[in-house]
Amino acid sequence: MSTPTHDPHSGDRPDRGPGTSNPGTDPTNPSPASARGSAATADADPANPANPATADMDEPPAGGSFTRYFLRKLGGAATSMVLVIVLGFFAFRMLPGDPVLKIAKERPMSPAQIAELRSQYGLDKPVIVQFWDYLVGIVTGDLGESYVYRKSVSALIGEYLGPTLLLTATAAVIAIVLGLWLGQISAWRRNSLFDKLASSTSLIFWSVPTFWLGLILLMIFGGTLQWLPTGGMITPGLDPWSPAGIIDVIKHLILPVISLVAVVYAQFLMIMRASLLEEMNEDYLTTARAKGLTEDEVRRRHAVPNALLPTVTVVFLHIGGLIAGAVTVEAVFSWPGLGKLTFEAIRGPDLPLLQGTFVVFSAIIIVMNLAADIVYRFLDPRVRRA
Amino acid sequence: MTDLQFENVSITYRSSSDRGDVVAVQDVSLDLPAGATLGIAGESGSGKSTLIMSALRLLPKSVRLEGRVLLGGQDIRELSFGQIRAVRWAQASIVFQGALHSLNPVREVGSQIIEALEHHSKGTWTTPQKRRDRMFELLAEVNLEASKSSAYPHELSGGQKQRIMIAMALACEPDIIIADEPTTALDVIVQKQILSGLARLVAERGISLLMISHDLAVLSAVCANLAIMRHGRLVEYGPSDEVCLSPQEDYTKQLAGAFPQIGDPESRLNPRTLKPAEVVRAEPFNMTDEVVLEAKDLSVSFDTRRGRERAVRGVDLQLRKAEILAVVGQSGSGKTTLARSLLGLQEVEAGSQLSFAGKALPKKAKELRAFRRKVQMILQDPAGSLNPKRSVYEAVVEGLKVQGIRDREYERVIGALEAAELTPAEDYLESTPQELSGGQRQRVVIAGALALDPKVLIADEPVASLDASVRGEILSLFLALKKNLGMSALIITHDLGLAWNIADTVAVMKRGEIVEYGEVDRVLSDPQHEYTQELLAAVPRLGSQSLVRNE
Repeated sequence: MSTPTHDPHSGDRPDRGPGTSNPGTDPTNPSPASARGSAATADADPANPANPATADMDEPPAGGSFTRYFLRKLGGAATSMVLVIVLGFFAFRMLPGDPVLKIAKERPMSPAQIAELRSQYGLDKPVIVQFWDYLVGIVTGDLGESYVYRKSVSALIGEYLGPTLLLTATAAVIAIVLGLWLGQISAWRRNSLFDKLASSTSLIFWSVPTFWLGLILLMIFGGTLQWLPTGGMITPGLDPWSPAGIIDVIKHLILPVISLVAVVYAQFLMIMRASLLEEMNEDYLTTARAKGLTEDEVRRRHAVPNALLPTVTVVFLHIGGLIAGAVTVEAVFSWPGLGKLTFEAIRGPDLPLLQGTFVVFSAIIIVMNLAADIVYRFLDPRVRRA
Repeated sequence: MTDLQFENVSITYRSSSDRGDVVAVQDVSLDLPAGATLGIAGESGSGKSTLIMSALRLLPKSVRLEGRVLLGGQDIRELSFGQIRAVRWAQASIVFQGALHSLNPVREVGSQIIEALEHHSKGTWTTPQKRRDRMFELLAEVNLEASKSSAYPHELSGGQKQRIMIAMALACEPDIIIADEPTTALDVIVQKQILSGLARLVAERGISLLMISHDLAVLSAVCANLAIMRHGRLVEYGPSDEVCLSPQEDYTKQLAGAFPQIGDPESRLNPRTLKPAEVVRAEPFNMTDEVVLEAKDLSVSFDTRRGRERAVRGVDLQLRKAEILAVVGQSGSGKTTLARSLLGLQEVEAGSQLSFAGKALPKKAKELRAFRRKVQMILQDPAGSLNPKRSVYEAVVEGLKVQGIRDREYERVIGALEAAELTPAEDYLESTPQELSGGQRQRVVIAGALALDPKVLIADEPVASLDASVRGEILSLFLALKKNLGMSALIITHDLGLAWNIADTVAVMKRGEIVEYGEVDRVLSDPQHEYTQELLAAVPRLGSQSLVRNE
């Protein structure tokens, strides 16, 4: 049993041997060769006709390569990205309001100074030249200089990206785990009290405006009770990497995360519930029950993996949206993130900054979609044929 | 060894909806002693599936069961959930319709077999390695390569999936195997392989077999005893040969006659049904010499991962006015591709010639639309081909709308429904597909085609998903359409009995080629090609028990 009868990759019997064609698909079997050896002994039975299965003309073709799939999806993502970059330039050129005049309004400036400012920002050049500069800038990682902050946009985004990722990633993880878990229990116990409570509560939160919920939370826990800080990410002066600093950041994180989670987890719950309900009458669940699995095992091992498939796409789409949706929450809680930066850029209008955040937000959403496609392929073997 | 007994079993689905409680099984007593084989035949709604599911207590909680189901003398209702779980698969396992969705689509089939072993190790398959070895042993028993263990269900053909189901059912060495329509949706050759494999494994091990099917011939091929069920009641019960060959009840006779014996002159051009479609024309149309649809040297190729594959190779085919041509072959033989090419839905290779009424098949969208008015397609699954949200009227009128036919819309729809024998047609106009039976749905689909006054119908397995008694009705409708309207039909099927029932000519396809083509009487009575002979030999015959006690 422990000695392999032949080398798994020698190809001496190409018609058998799990893993010769797709190595690594089966982590449960570290030694395919030994299992094969015993299968071969069982197979020695002369009554066995030689491979009737290879003569099966109805057998569907094998799956495609991952590289091709990946490159195709990557190509799609790249196309979207190019479109976003082009759109990012022209959309903000069409915004009403001249940024230079706006700046000029705030302090007295002569027409010569205004023209000077225009040429400094490159706004006097023809649009096509500006577009070219913009493209060159993007390729070299230079997104221009913010009119308001007087700093490089790339540097600003780099500085504000971290807090946004911290906030949205925490919220996303909690919302997804909570939503999917509540969703599958709701579906499994359809029409039970649990189902009704979970669904209706989530829908109430879902229909509440984010800023309103944020303000209410702020008033109660930050204002009246004074349990939690009312804004910012860290008490000034604390080192964020010291133990006290970490606790302080967590305290600041609680309210914005709750506002974000409360509003979005309903969609994960609803999607999970609906897709699990779709699976509940499938025949393979009857097979699983007939095999003697407990209801819990039937749910965890068979129903949920299938129900996750439609859920994954939507979940990833919403993670992208969540980051963009953080704009409101960040504004309410003065969270020093990209959302707040965007909010301020709109007031400008700070064109380079707007362009920069627009491109970064879009890029995040595109990357999330790409990730969804890739995860989906791993979850659903049927996609591997596409 | 374990006996299975049903003692005066009645099963009711309790429901709070308007329909109230539904009695699925009524007072059925059946006995399956150890080592015996019993078949239960019946159509959908006969309660046969409900009955066998009760043997392992797999029915939903809302079901009320009266009487006793005894497994090895023990009333299964008295077992705790833990005990019933231990009984499931270890004492009695089920072969579901593997060809459909009985395997989990996102897990490797090998691991699904191993899962059963994990739950019932019986002191033998105690380690992962032993379970794996057992799994490979099982695959070998059902003639599958070991490499198939890492395949996902969608990577297997219908026959291979069914073998996996059988391997899984055998896994824990059960005393009883319950087979639920194990060969439905498989073609005759694969059906024979599956049935003989199942019969052999069951006989070798002395396992008792309880099998249900709508096809008496399939049951009689492997079961010694037969029970016929209808509307939840047992209609007839006895040894296979008696039930099949000298049935006492009218219903059994109808079921037995639904699938014709090829070569039996009585069923030639005469599908057995209680509701035959009327032939109203004084001089019914007969096959003429006028060629309507013709294919010459038709070849179709697809790009697949294995390279370019030719699905249809050099096919010559003629469909004459008022001719019914049956194209017969296994799944994967290219017959559906052939049908799609004839409709202009499929790109064909250069050199292929397709013509309709003497003219080459049009290529432009507008002309193709006019062509499709004259050549209509009917698909296999009427439930899937009708939009569930649309009424019968909307379904039938859609073709008229697409073709821009505005005048006498209502009359045309009524006429089409009546031609499809849905009478009085007015009663059906507002129905939605869910309110109709399978046969009625297929009639609606046919009416949708007839509304356009086509010259040719191309039907892809038009009766494969219908009950035995409905099958005869629909086939007789095809025959009547030909006789009354002079319509030509090309019917794609894997069912040789269908060809015997209604077709004038038959073309046998294998791997994209037509291997035999001619008059039905000649080809099916005196087949020349060895593949035709193989197909004919694989058709199960009534009352023969051909696959078990044949030694």
